[in-house]
Amino acid sequence: MAADPIDTSVESARNYPPELARLPPGRHGLPREFVVHNQRERLIAGLAEAISEKGFAGTTIGDITRHAAVSRRTFYEHFTSKDECFVAAYDTVMAELSERVGAAFAEVDDWPHGVRAGIGAMLAFLASEPNLARLCMVEALVAGPVVVERYDAAIQSLVPYFKAGREGRSPEVLSRLSPSTEEALVGGMVSLISRRIIAGKTAELEGLLPDLVEFTLTPYLGSAEAAKIARES
Amino acid sequence: MTQRTSTRPAPGQHRLSREFITQHQRARIIAALAEETAAQGYRAVTVADVVRRAGIARNTFYDNFSSKEDCFLATQDFAVEEALRRVVEAATKVDSWQARVDAGLAAFLHYVTSEPALARTCIVEALSAGPAALARYEESLQAFIPLFRIGRKVSPHGEDLPETLEETIIGGVFWIIYQRIILGETEEIEQLLPELVEFALTPYVGAEAARKATA
Repeated sequence: MAADPIDTSVESARNYPPELARLPPGRHGLPREFVVHNQRERLIAGLAEAISEKGFAGTTIGDITRHAAVSRRTFYEHFTSKDECFVAAYDTVMAELSERVGAAFAEVDDWPHGVRAGIGAMLAFLASEPNLARLCMVEALVAGPVVVERYDAAIQSLVPYFKAGREGRSPEVLSRLSPSTEEALVGGMVSLISRRIIAGKTAELEGLLPDLVEFTLTPYLGSAEAAKIARES
Repeated sequence: MTQRTSTRPAPGQHRLSREFITQHQRARIIAALAEETAAQGYRAVTVADVVRRAGIARNTFYDNFSSKEDCFLATQDFAVEEALRRVVEAATKVDSWQARVDAGLAAFLHYVTSEPALARTCIVEALSAGPAALARYEESLQAFIPLFRIGRKVSPHGEDLPETLEETIIGGVFWIIYQRIILGETEEIEQLLPELVEFALTPYVGAEAARKATA
């Protein structure tokens, strides 16, 4: 790592996966901006680890700093409270998740396969980051009204991906869709994912892909076509 | 709340059985917890608030429940049991599975609208009232699975339906209700009946038949 020139831009620091973002203690001669940003990421990763062990309510600032391997003072240089640290963590995780979903969706031309790719990206991210999955899908709900509001907004932000499926459908299909179809699909999908995380089955989330694809495409394409796309390998 | 004053006997003057009084006290405490929770949010509510609203002694609260959380969990159990009872009662009055989904959902939405404090407590606040309440909420959703699962027998492709279908349908229905409650539109929830029935039936019988069932 020392041999490589270090890009100090914020973008680059943000790309560090939290697990890799640990700095060796002591003097490392890295530019201050990088260190500051990195400390913040470590605190966020530390919070996610601590919370997956003890839950939001049981986690103390001491737990967070221990997992992050930074001092208590460093914590307070970045955040005023556990709640504020949680909000930062939540926003970071959701930004990453929505970026991945958006990119996967946009990469595919036809809508049904775009939906499949988007759901696939979401499941893959959550399955590969069990601590973050728990943080944003389960603990967010117990972390106070500010986060719950963001959680609701994040889920509702998935609605347009499905609404796009109305485009080009026959009048007959359109007449069958109700104003709340997309909301119900998104809610059903998220609720199933949360249930699996609560049940400790985060690693198996990707196995839900065919079911979720079939469930969400059925109102637009009918059962047979939705099932066909769901079962493609 | 009007019941509260009329049915509360003056201390020492009642000749009601001990069991009756206990049952009644529990129900009153549960109603008080729901009202306080809906008004202030679970975190802010104290046992003192519940005691005051229920018009009982603090000791009486602790005779019935060990803590605020214990009382909250009992409230969830009470609501789920009552909701299921109403759904099943409505559903058994009609014959076809489609009509049962329609009648059961109608009864459920009616219950939610007629008990806004209880609904908010058990559908919104339960999610943020700690791990035990969340687990209880998850279990309560499971209780509705068998009612939908019968649809696989009615469906022409029942054996091919996704294993998780009922969970996603129930999750979707609850999400819609949750959204309406937090937007302060609890009164309008009953109007969602046709769309929710259609949403629930479509995967089993196709959109056209689902629409007919709601007509």
